[in-house]
Amino acid sequence: MRWRRRDTARARLPRGEGPWAWLSAGSVALSLLLLALLLGLLLSRGLGHFWPGDVALVTLEDGRQLAGRAVREEPLPDGSGRERLYRTGNRDLDGAIWDWVALAAIHEVSYPRELLVLERRRWGEFIGRLVALEPEAGPRLEGEAAWSALEARLVALEARREAIRRLREQTIRPLVRRLEREGESAEVTRALAAAEARIGALRASLGGASLVLESVSGQHSIEPLEEVVRARRPNAMSNLDKLAAWGQGVWRFLSEGQRAANTAGGVWPAIFGTVLMVMLMSLLVTPFGVLAAVYLNEVAHQGRLTRLVRIGVRNLAGVPSIVYGVFGLGVFVYGIGGHLDSWFFEASLPSPTFGTGGLLWASLTLALLTLPVVIVATEEGLARIPHRQREGALALGATRLEMLTRVVLPMAMPAMLTGVILAVARAAGEVAPLMLVGVAKLAPQVPVDGDFPFLHLERKFMHLGYHIFDAAFHGGDVQAALPLIYATALLLVLVILMLNLTAIFLRHHLRSRHGTLSSY
Amino acid sequence: MMPTPPTSTMRQRLRQGRDRLATALITAGGIGVIAAVMGIAVFLVVEVVPLFWPAEPPRIRLEALWLPQDVAGLDAPAYRWQPTLADDGGPLFSLPPLVWGTLEAAAWSLVIAVPLALGAAAHSALFMSRRLRARLRPTLELMEALPGVVIGFVAGLALAPWLERHLALALALLLLVPPGLLLAGGLWRQLPARLQRRLPLGWAALWLMPWLVLTWGLAQWLGPLLESQWFAGDLRAWLEVTLGLDYASRNAVIVGMAMGFAVVPSIYALAEDALSGVPRSLAEGAQALGATRWQTLWRVMLPAASPGVLSAVMIGAGRAVGETMIVLMASGNTALMTANPLDGLRSMAASIAIELPEAAPGGTHYRLLLLAALLLFAFTFLVNTLAEVVRTRLRRRYRRLGGPS
Amino acid sequence: MPVMREARPARGAFIDFEPEATSLEIRGFGLRYGDKPALNDLTLRVPRHRVTAFIGPSGCGKSTLLRALNRLHDLNEEVVQQGEIRLEGRDIHAPEVAVAELRRRVGMVFQAPNPFPMSIYDNVAFGLRLQGGLSKRRRDDIVEWALRSAALWDEVKDRLRASAWSLSGGQQQRLVIARTLAVGPEVLLLDEPASALDPISTLKVEELIRNLKASLTLVLVTHNMQQAARVSDYTAFLHNGELVEYAPTDTLFTNPRLARTENYITGRMA
Repeated sequence: MRWRRRDTARARLPRGEGPWAWLSAGSVALSLLLLALLLGLLLSRGLGHFWPGDVALVTLEDGRQLAGRAVREEPLPDGSGRERLYRTGNRDLDGAIWDWVALAAIHEVSYPRELLVLERRRWGEFIGRLVALEPEAGPRLEGEAAWSALEARLVALEARREAIRRLREQTIRPLVRRLEREGESAEVTRALAAAEARIGALRASLGGASLVLESVSGQHSIEPLEEVVRARRPNAMSNLDKLAAWGQGVWRFLSEGQRAANTAGGVWPAIFGTVLMVMLMSLLVTPFGVLAAVYLNEVAHQGRLTRLVRIGVRNLAGVPSIVYGVFGLGVFVYGIGGHLDSWFFEASLPSPTFGTGGLLWASLTLALLTLPVVIVATEEGLARIPHRQREGALALGATRLEMLTRVVLPMAMPAMLTGVILAVARAAGEVAPLMLVGVAKLAPQVPVDGDFPFLHLERKFMHLGYHIFDAAFHGGDVQAALPLIYATALLLVLVILMLNLTAIFLRHHLRSRHGTLSSY
Repeated sequence: MMPTPPTSTMRQRLRQGRDRLATALITAGGIGVIAAVMGIAVFLVVEVVPLFWPAEPPRIRLEALWLPQDVAGLDAPAYRWQPTLADDGGPLFSLPPLVWGTLEAAAWSLVIAVPLALGAAAHSALFMSRRLRARLRPTLELMEALPGVVIGFVAGLALAPWLERHLALALALLLLVPPGLLLAGGLWRQLPARLQRRLPLGWAALWLMPWLVLTWGLAQWLGPLLESQWFAGDLRAWLEVTLGLDYASRNAVIVGMAMGFAVVPSIYALAEDALSGVPRSLAEGAQALGATRWQTLWRVMLPAASPGVLSAVMIGAGRAVGETMIVLMASGNTALMTANPLDGLRSMAASIAIELPEAAPGGTHYRLLLLAALLLFAFTFLVNTLAEVVRTRLRRRYRRLGGPS
Repeated sequence: MPVMREARPARGAFIDFEPEATSLEIRGFGLRYGDKPALNDLTLRVPRHRVTAFIGPSGCGKSTLLRALNRLHDLNEEVVQQGEIRLEGRDIHAPEVAVAELRRRVGMVFQAPNPFPMSIYDNVAFGLRLQGGLSKRRRDDIVEWALRSAALWDEVKDRLRASAWSLSGGQQQRLVIARTLAVGPEVLLLDEPASALDPISTLKVEELIRNLKASLTLVLVTHNMQQAARVSDYTAFLHNGELVEYAPTDTLFTNPRLARTENYITGRMA
């Protein structure tokens, strides 16, 4: 019977669908491929950065040696073979952290176990060998002894750094604030001096020791131990060790502040700023959006004017975000903020308090920007609720307010939630308006701290999206910062995708629930 | 026995009063919120008006905004936007370069996005299996949600340097992909029926992806060949020498690709709505007469759905005109007026983002940037309203024709 | 006791009641949607503690009239009304009448069951909570009483916390009746309450209606003449927004005065 089945298959497709069918299928495939490519790029570059890859010791034909991690290969400009890019670190010794090597010039590549990678506070990575550790007192340690001493000391060092940081934040900063508020007083000055003395003591116990380093090209340098953040010998690490180091790296990225002009360190302040701003925004946009939607759908006279207003609100969702930023700058910052300053903060003029971009104005601007999203979603939810539910409530003697609060709004809850989540997802990715109303490249103070009133609405804040823009286009060494920018971009995309997935799930849930309802 | 609940008049009054108060508050709040949102237009107009009716004599002539100006060091008058460069001639405010940049970026992104999005919409309305289609929509919705700053970053720092080095490969890809797809179609028809069932047309969007990767591999081989054969071994040099086209690393084509990628999902979603909303009876009637599905689309569905498809493209254009971060990061931001797609550009939105924080409030520069914002607002608002009106009409027409089934 | 009176013999035949026996009085009532007239100059009295049915072809205005009785048209801004409707002698449109209180006194059950998306208990307690001032104990008692009156108690007493949407269609409709009974209405309006139900559920609802008239005035709108004949004491026939004939149910169905009525009940009128 096989021939017959083939026959029906032909019958279903009497002739080809022509070229266009394939071209159109190709456009779907191409779009999906591009999306996959983009996400794959972000994933591999963003996550790969934290993997402590092996460090190669490259010996060139001319006898020169270099050590570094291979980044990528390219064809040589003249087409005579390929060249490889190594990230060699040692900015202080070589002046650059990259080295292009023609493949043909490589004599030998090896991976010696003793190659050391130091992460330093000022000069970035050092790649080379550890010659010796010179303690502040006592004999100089060499070889394996030096390495194990270094590891032990780094742990102690980290604990002391943490202690200093805590002293600064929890003791000194409040004291300084008090000083600013109340003026000089013997008591405060004394407490301050005591704290400073303790920090000084801790500092002193940090230092003294130094490392004698040697790069593979034979240059020697002496590095104070105080400058070292982390030390690793990647070639000696097992895959499990590397995985642990990778997890640690990801965690540090998420939890630490940035170093070296945004080209190293973590993005915690940016995460914090983004989340705080988005939370404030949703606090603002939810009640107002729901209010406007309830008015449009339940209270307003359903005439031509309401219809026009509805179309208008819907179309505001398509107005470019930068226009909202302009509005925020002109009205909130220069208008309202300027007046607030001249009324309440005259003392600190001409340096503005609210008359410059800040957390409050950014949240307000984004709330305005996302208002149409919330209004439209809530209105859709309200319109979906069957009329007989409202009549049922009214027929039981409910007033309109009671009908709304007890029956209609609870039923519209998933729709509202969907709207708010979509608004949050949109706001988290918006950067253009923030550039006008309050985002900062580097905010010295987080908008939340222990000083009254704890939440500082007038302060500038950092933002993941702006961090990407700034590090990519205003940083000094973009190449060095690139892996971190990829990681940041990946983080931002993941957060936004997660929010959107939640919204899609909610909407689906909502539809299926109302589906059963309307089947009666 | 009937336990009647208590009905106290006091409580009755309280409830009534509360209801009235709430209604009043909702009305006031609702109107307030809507007025605040609509206030954007009012604010922009109020701030821009002094530019045209100044209280004090204007420092620049307004017609100069639209006409070529005398530029120090140049013989002929030219269009220049140099708001902060105040050497001998003072700042130069000429809007055409910005308008040009905006439109050029939008045009290139539409050139990229429209074929992709409409092709995808047609494919999913005509051929795609129902299950795949149900998955595709949310996937493309996620694509729409990708933040501009990420797309801009990848375009500016990964795509632009890559394209600069692999111009020939890109050209080869452009030449190979369409015939490659047609070849796939031709080969598919030669397959035995069993394999055809394994690789149905409804899922072609998925199984064509490896095919495209294969095409990529072919292009990688063909690219250098092409370059050495026709372009004297260096396409970029050939462009500069033979065609006189300067190649800027971040150029209009890069912007077009990135922004095209960003607007594909919105065009797709609306166009697909319009196409799949065409009453089934119409399409089935045509197919009963022996038309292929593509002929049905071309002769029956597209004429019926064309306003919807048009409005989808319009909304895409609106997005492309106002998108800021992608242009900012992928365009180089040079205010040029050239038709060369391989040169940089500067859009109005990007200018606002860069220059407004530094412009003195109330000054000419500030008001000009607000004028640019007003133009953006008016353009997108008009385009979106028009698209909305078209779509409402279309829905009514479908309902008359028998409703979507 | 009812008195037959030929009010306007030329236009129709109407039964009338003494004011003391009247629950609802409709006097010269007209209603239009925008420019479209729906009801025209209706006058009738609905007797207390009886079942009165409104019958008539679709679009005759019977549901519109029913909804006017507890002012549900207030929601629709297009609706223009004239004439009077009196509940126990007082005009329901008088400014001092609180519409929420009126709707509590004149309960309504709709064509399709519309339980709220909450538990069975909460549905019945919904109206009680609005009124407030009840102890939990007393509320529980009223909920039980209402569910018993609606002949639903035995079926749901073990799952009062279950979602009302988990009930079958017939159970849902009885739940809605129970919900309405719980707030202690004087009049119960039923808008084709059984049209969405299967035959067995229909019988249960009809039996319920007969039992309820001991304590309530019931007004039933139905397009099902057998149903009107089975459950109602009086029947009003409406056509094109006008009252054609209003008589004791057996009289109207066995011996209609007017040819128009006869045509309709014998099925000769489409």
